[in-house]
Amino acid sequence: MKRDNKTPLGATIAFAVIAFTVMTAGAFAQSADPTDVGKAVFKRANCFGCHKWHGNGGGGYGGDALSLRKTELTKDQIVETVECGRPGTGMPFFMRGAYDTTKCYDMDRKQVGAQMPQEANVFLRHEDVEAVADYVLTHIKGKGEPTHAECTDFFGNTSHVCDIYKDAQPSGGQTSTGQPK
Amino acid sequence: MKTFARRRLSLQVAMFASVAAAALIASAPARADDVTPERLLNSAKEPGNWLLHHQNYSATRFSTLSEINKDNVKNLKVAWTMQLGGVEGGGIWTHGGLEGTPIVDNGFMYVTDGWGSVYKIDAHGGKGVLLWKMDPKTDHDWAGAVACCGVDNRGVALWGNLVISHTLDGRLIATNKDTGQVAWQRQVADPNKGEVITGAPLIVKNMAITGVAGAEYGIRGWIAATDLNTQKEVWRTYTIPGKGEPGSDTWKDSQNAAASGGGSTWVTGSYDPATNTLIWGVGNPGPDWDNAYRPGDNLYTDSSLALDADTGKIKWHYQHTPNDPYDYDSVAENVLADVPGANGSTTKIALEADRNGFAYAIDRTNGKFLWGLPFVKKVTWTKGLDPETGKPAEYDPNKQVQTYNASVTPSRTNKVTDICPGNMGGKNWPPTAYNPQLKLWYIPVIESCNRITVEEMTKDKLKPREFWTGGGPSQPVKITGSITAIDVTTGKIAGKFETPFPNLGGILATPDLVFSGQPSGEVQAVDAKTMQKLWEFNTGGGVNAPPMTFSVDGKQYIAILVGLGGAWDKWFIDATPELKRMQPGSMLYVFAL
Repeated sequence: MKRDNKTPLGATIAFAVIAFTVMTAGAFAQSADPTDVGKAVFKRANCFGCHKWHGNGGGGYGGDALSLRKTELTKDQIVETVECGRPGTGMPFFMRGAYDTTKCYDMDRKQVGAQMPQEANVFLRHEDVEAVADYVLTHIKGKGEPTHAECTDFFGNTSHVCDIYKDAQPSGGQTSTGQPK
Repeated sequence: MKTFARRRLSLQVAMFASVAAAALIASAPARADDVTPERLLNSAKEPGNWLLHHQNYSATRFSTLSEINKDNVKNLKVAWTMQLGGVEGGGIWTHGGLEGTPIVDNGFMYVTDGWGSVYKIDAHGGKGVLLWKMDPKTDHDWAGAVACCGVDNRGVALWGNLVISHTLDGRLIATNKDTGQVAWQRQVADPNKGEVITGAPLIVKNMAITGVAGAEYGIRGWIAATDLNTQKEVWRTYTIPGKGEPGSDTWKDSQNAAASGGGSTWVTGSYDPATNTLIWGVGNPGPDWDNAYRPGDNLYTDSSLALDADTGKIKWHYQHTPNDPYDYDSVAENVLADVPGANGSTTKIALEADRNGFAYAIDRTNGKFLWGLPFVKKVTWTKGLDPETGKPAEYDPNKQVQTYNASVTPSRTNKVTDICPGNMGGKNWPPTAYNPQLKLWYIPVIESCNRITVEEMTKDKLKPREFWTGGGPSQPVKITGSITAIDVTTGKIAGKFETPFPNLGGILATPDLVFSGQPSGEVQAVDAKTMQKLWEFNTGGGVNAPPMTFSVDGKQYIAILVGLGGAWDKWFIDATPELKRMQPGSMLYVFAL
């Protein structure tokens, strides 16, 4: 009998610990940025290879990637652009079967002809594309000059890549001498 | 007890030995296999070794080794291979590639991968054994985000018992040759300004000479010398003159375009010991395609520069494309050759195959133009060179903004236009080779046109670590290539070996052979006189690096790094759609009979 009593008690304690752990983890998960999944897609799909981490894109050796900070596209339009690419430009399509099993901009491969965008290095699931669109809408679209906080949010703190934004003050004027404060 | 005593004895011996070793290191006596300035000056006396990036100070990439020759090259086979690393991406790059030239000293080979890891390989006994790898832990995102044209490193140099190398994130590193431990390192370039380093260092006397990349990011280019004994900078010469310095009047704008005027120096130069002169190529001006932003000739961009090796003082310059609107840089190596002149004299020339599609011979004692000719089949931007000055025929020194053949030249009024050669140039960084016995100079050719779209730049668009190009290229036209041989006694084309793809690797010359590779994977040997193909091996990876040769245990080998990276597969691949199938890789191939 005593043994029988003990077992449920142990089980209860174990359950309580597990429950607490789960609740804690859940609390942390809720406080984390819900667009982190989209940020991971932004990296994995190499969006920043052309649009850059800050989304400004810009002219350069590989032609022009449009600015996602200045974009006026809605979420649906971003999703469509990522899934279908942009015909006649360097923006590739990321949806498996685009222009084949699924028409894009009402066109199949034959109809889009020479304007066919290139195939991206990775295909993304629709949920991934929605996630990356949410990330763009939350962290990039409509933002001004890139900041140090945005940069370290993207890269973390293990690289010098964000150093140039450290001393950038919105009010401007002073340039750093590079001396530690 | 006995055991204990023995242990103590051996401990004492070990301690004594290590103290002795420490004393040895402290006094640093020269060892037979140390690489001294004298050995580098006399590299021709060591044909089995390859001690300098371009084989010798004259940058000929010519080896006298002839065990492998045109009669037996058909029997050339893979002797051994080695898988290397550095394929991972970073910054704007999905993967790294291999562009390096192996260095070989007494049967030990030193190679780098794109992120600057150095590998020491024992090549004795007909096989390759990796002895150590020095990983400099390059800051991928910091450097890769401002490397315009790939995750590249073109190799090491040797000095004393140290291996001297660069990293993409701007460091000069000295590694102990025996242990692979980093002895010291120094930050030479600053990626915060858009500066990175891809070229191999050049050792002259006790200095390492460093060039910089970054003209697409608004840098002001330079060449710097580091004293390897003190690890301090000896001199740094900017390729764009400061206010009031000679040449500063060739920047005629009022917005200080010179401060972000480009002029990078990312290909290892050559050295003429007779006059103690470095001859180094200087890159394009920035912004690349909006030349109205920077009126004037824009010295010393697109020039070959001669500098005093001890002081960095500029002795002379020769500019190929003043006020360049095409991205036709002159960063290429200058090959130093002595050719018979009139009345039994010898003419000391510097040969340069320019991005603009013309090959130039300059008198290297004074920088005067001798001759020039197109080495590509199609040139549209100019009708030719002035036979006296070598300047493009349409060049007008009184004009602030050059238009050359205006109908094809990118400008603010001609915003979308096709140019030939394309902006990769008729020849890019892959090195030429010169056979001094045959007086033939072999150029790795990119036979190309491409489309330039101009963006008008304003000063507010200039931001650190952001592209400063004034437009960009696209690739509507298929690009091929060749190895083109020029007879330097006549200044005429002596032969061409045409290839389906551009030559992105460079050339090795031996007495009767020319070696090179294709980005589609083939390594090839061509008859040095007839330019007929004699041998080919498909490595299965894209060749983006120059072959070299060495001998060990009395046997000759050909070595080449294979792994397509660089600018091509990101920016230019549409001109060679068949190359989209080439996979990233990182492999060393070594061939022998």
